[in-house]
Amino acid sequence: MRITRRTLALTAFAGAALGGLSLASLPAAAQDSITIGVQVPTTGPEATYGNDMFNAVKIAAQEINEKGGLLGRQIELTAGDSACDPQQAVNAASKLASQDVVGVVGGYCSGATLPTLKIYGDANIPFVITASNSTKLIPANPGNAFMINSTGADQTTKAVEFMESKGIESVAIVNQGDAYSQDLANLTRDAWEQAGKKVAAFETVNKGEQDYSALVTKIKAADPDAVFWTAYYADGGLLIRQLRQGGYRGTIAVGDGSNSPKLFEIAGRAAEGVYAFSNPTAEFLPKAKSFSETYKKQFGNAPGPYAPLTYDGMMLLAWAIEKAGTTDHGPIIEALASADGQEWLSGPISFTDENTLARSNFIVLEGKGGEWALAE
Amino acid sequence: MSLTDILMQQLVNGLVLGSFYALVALGYTMIFGVIKLLNFAHGDVYMVGGFVGFGVLSAVGGTLGADWGGIAVAMFLSMIAMGCLGVVIERVAYHPMLAAPRLSILITALAVSLVLQNSVLTLTDGQITAFRTDLGFGGLEIGHVFITYNQMVLVGTAALLMIALETFVSRTQYGRAMRAVSIDKDMCRLMGIDVAKVIAITFFIGSALAAAAGTMAGAYYGSIWYFMGFLIGLKAFTAAVIGGIGSIPGAMAGGLILGLLEAFGTQIPGIGSEWKDVFSFSILILVLVFKPTGLFGKSETERM
Repeated sequence: MRITRRTLALTAFAGAALGGLSLASLPAAAQDSITIGVQVPTTGPEATYGNDMFNAVKIAAQEINEKGGLLGRQIELTAGDSACDPQQAVNAASKLASQDVVGVVGGYCSGATLPTLKIYGDANIPFVITASNSTKLIPANPGNAFMINSTGADQTTKAVEFMESKGIESVAIVNQGDAYSQDLANLTRDAWEQAGKKVAAFETVNKGEQDYSALVTKIKAADPDAVFWTAYYADGGLLIRQLRQGGYRGTIAVGDGSNSPKLFEIAGRAAEGVYAFSNPTAEFLPKAKSFSETYKKQFGNAPGPYAPLTYDGMMLLAWAIEKAGTTDHGPIIEALASADGQEWLSGPISFTDENTLARSNFIVLEGKGGEWALAE
Repeated sequence: MSLTDILMQQLVNGLVLGSFYALVALGYTMIFGVIKLLNFAHGDVYMVGGFVGFGVLSAVGGTLGADWGGIAVAMFLSMIAMGCLGVVIERVAYHPMLAAPRLSILITALAVSLVLQNSVLTLTDGQITAFRTDLGFGGLEIGHVFITYNQMVLVGTAALLMIALETFVSRTQYGRAMRAVSIDKDMCRLMGIDVAKVIAITFFIGSALAAAAGTMAGAYYGSIWYFMGFLIGLKAFTAAVIGGIGSIPGAMAGGLILGLLEAFGTQIPGIGSEWKDVFSFSILILVLVFKPTGLFGKSETERM
């Protein structure tokens, strides 16, 4: 009931929105343009990130087109709204696959990205995943997808290392039961226990719930040194606020899905001193300076956490298309796999045998004065 | 924390959560009382109420402050706005359907729910809106039990609204008329009661209570979004059924009972908080199977 109604509403809306979009872009589509699909959540609770990622792709495509395009052809973008919802994402991916896209960039919310892997895999469409990083994506990847964000396993390593350095002995882990947050929670629990430390509580909450007071009391009773929230910022903000309101005084840490300025809007002062494990955002990347300026000028706000990675994703795909010298999927996938450490905004990109980023890019941020600052 | 402390703290948590459920459940039950309709749009009235409250607070917060003073004004204006919206919904969507079969009007209610939800979805792009306030985190620590001032204000306001409603229904002429309409509409018409007006007043009050809950929830939790009315709508419906749908004291008691059950349910060893909703809705099924009239309900022949 819950899923059906929501999905129905979202589908109806997204359908209408996308219908309008593709119709509007038809006259502009020159016959020989290269169509790139962008799969991001442009509606729903995680839409802030999604729109941000889409904007980053727009900037990249614009820059490429201004320089004469790819293989002498202009890039045309087409959006697929995944809404951070698995069913919705499948619809978006099927739509993109049927539009003969040369490649797809994007992928936010691992739970929504997971079922799309098969669709792109069956059509052998190159897919550069710029945000989703659950390790559950790895075995499901038919070989055409490339993850340029470090995986949940890398994040776990960073989280355990950091919490150990803070002298934390026991931790309460809270996730939301989706592919991303559950993966991160499970990996962290195993790694933490392996390090000989205590997991005081391991809880799953329902998405969309507002009241976490009962959970806060349960956590307080278990009295952990730290609480680690592995899901997204919208509900994370609520939990952090209620933890502090309920008088919890220990350390609070969140995963990269909660690295958003919105967390401060929702949690208010409670977010001060909260640690976030994150891929480097634009302000911490020296090479992303001019990108940030362009972004601010064009869209009026600072680029969000996944904007540089998604810009890189588009640029990497463009590089692979140039290298392959064709819009055929096979050679582009081969070209992507051959990426060997060229420098991009977010750093060098090369892939492991599993098509994941060959290095860990995680940094630790701390909430200070209503924004994220480098913690180390 | 000792076990007693934990249970006392969960009691506080349950009361706060239960107050929200009760305020929303009251609207369900009152509307069911007068037109025998399960108004599935009621949760969405709560949601729109939260957004209107947010809009008012953004407008007046600068001058009045975004603490409880400003929130009280926002809540009051949101209550009036949502009361009017409730009356409009009844006039436009339900009134023409009153003579139609029960199922038609139930489907209409679902449609109204989708219209409200999708309107806000379109206006906000489905994004979470942060409900900024200047509320502090202070509170009283009694033993190891921590009660924030916000929680006290919240439960107090809810209690006040419920006392006002109870007084209205039991002491005033319109309250009497409302009770009479819920028993027999045709007889009321014969006695010269303006039934349409009584129904309108019921929708006004029910929707206003939902708006009060929506605004307080937004301010207390700190965020609002288009889908926030769905789950609480179902929970409030559950609360109304536990108390006996159609019964006003039943809705109050049902809301509090459900809130307490959820809070204590989270604490049961071996059961994680993810079972909270399973818990609530199992109770709905149990009540429907074993005592469909609920705690305070009277048995009637026609039920929907």
